[in-house]
Amino acid sequence: MSAVLESFFGNSAKGLHVADNLVTGYASVKGREVCVIGTLEGVYIDNRAALRLSAQVIDCIKTKPGVPVVMLVDSAGQEPNRTAEMLGLASCFGHLLTCLQVARESGHKLVTVATGKAIGGAFICYGMFADAIYALDSASVGLMPVEAMSAVTKIPVETLRELSKTLPALEFGAAPFAQLGGVLDVWPAGAGLEAKLDESIASAVLTDDRARLGKERGGRTLAWDVQQRVLSSTAQ
Amino acid sequence: MSREPYHELKARERVAAIADPGSFAEILPPPDRVMSPYLPKLGIPVEFDDGLVAGRATLSGKPAYLAAQVGQFVGGSVGEVHSAKLTGLLKAAARDRIPCILLIESGGVRLHEGSSGEIGIAEAIRAVFECRSAGAATIAVIGSDIGAYGGMGILSACCDIRIMTEHGRLGISGPVVIEKWMGKEAYDSSNRALVWKTSGGKTRFLLGDAEVLSDDSSAAVREAIIAAMNAGRHPDLAFIEAQQAGLQERLDRFSGTSDADEIWKSRGVSDLASANLATASEFVKSITKGAK
Repeated sequence: MSAVLESFFGNSAKGLHVADNLVTGYASVKGREVCVIGTLEGVYIDNRAALRLSAQVIDCIKTKPGVPVVMLVDSAGQEPNRTAEMLGLASCFGHLLTCLQVARESGHKLVTVATGKAIGGAFICYGMFADAIYALDSASVGLMPVEAMSAVTKIPVETLRELSKTLPALEFGAAPFAQLGGVLDVWPAGAGLEAKLDESIASAVLTDDRARLGKERGGRTLAWDVQQRVLSSTAQ
Repeated sequence: MSREPYHELKARERVAAIADPGSFAEILPPPDRVMSPYLPKLGIPVEFDDGLVAGRATLSGKPAYLAAQVGQFVGGSVGEVHSAKLTGLLKAAARDRIPCILLIESGGVRLHEGSSGEIGIAEAIRAVFECRSAGAATIAVIGSDIGAYGGMGILSACCDIRIMTEHGRLGISGPVVIEKWMGKEAYDSSNRALVWKTSGGKTRFLLGDAEVLSDDSSAAVREAIIAAMNAGRHPDLAFIEAQQAGLQERLDRFSGTSDADEIWKSRGVSDLASANLATASEFVKSITKGAK
């Protein structure tokens, strides 16, 4: 059994279905039943994987009213594959998000923990949609490391590294991501995770507070104000 | 109303061609200078609208929020300010329960702004669903060569309706990224015919990823948008179960298929050569005939 799963679900992790580094099924957190969808070992998410996760969410809505959905994220990204694109990978991701929205509106709380890689489209297509999002301190969270950013943008890596000292948006990792408001809190990997997950399910709220948090924490200074300016300038 | 090719227009021209004449009122227009705090630090010129022309307008007399991405500015990419304008606009549409129309032209997250744009797109996706819950139709229009990729491809897939032209492309990983990953034999990104067969409007329409395939004129696109303004669907369990079955059926049907022509044939295209050259309306007509 995966040590990651055991750290959140204890012995009940045995009841989860793990195949091709995808996790689906039901487990318990401090005695509370939860639905789990997750990725392990940095696996890429393709069309079939997205549909397996969405099928699990649909099953939860149909058979387990109100049971919270826990999303664990350890994925390096979407499968970069021509056939996957041709067959509508974007639609599979959009569908997974739509399933999560229907779950939310049906009264299921949504909580995410980024446990390993939580990168780009793989984080956007389910984990970042939760009511409450957390990351382990050991997780690789963010758009991409500065080396990769440099390779694509042709901006020297030294320049990006220097700027990332004052701009957490350019720095890769859980702590800078939290400064941007992208995760509520960063948890030390190891003991006590089941209790933390239990508390986070209880305290999850339905509003998206990320922009406000990003401003408060000083990492993303403009997003909240710009959103509010658009809203106030259009108010009747 | 103008017949000029939609894909050749720039963002402001698109907005002018889609909205009722004189009805567009821009929010945070360029004189407000709401712009990227990152680009100047990287020595890259800014735009005073940060690449998103956003505002309120009427179409055929009905109010709507309308935004157009500026593909010429850093590839239409989504940074902190760009995404915040987009999210604000979607939230306004949800609040006012009127449609939100997105003229998309974007490769996704603006890499120069790192995780800030990534979180910004995730916020915009939440706001898309606020609209859908409120019954405000979200309409993604994808009709440019840049298309909708990365996070904007995912966001587009979350909207109620996708209107594409044959010039539009919808996906997540772009051809250059896939070529780098899989090799030129698997995906030659300079082969435009292959790229459009993979992700272009006609294939997306045949598979149902785009509900509407429109001719490439601003008049035709405008007409398609007006027809979609009442198409908001609050997704429920029955809706997602039908979607799940459809997508699963598609994967099972085409597993092992790497040739888009097979998809075209199985979806009612009898004459591939003429279908390749057909305009959108000719293409749609020939499919409907074939299905009878």
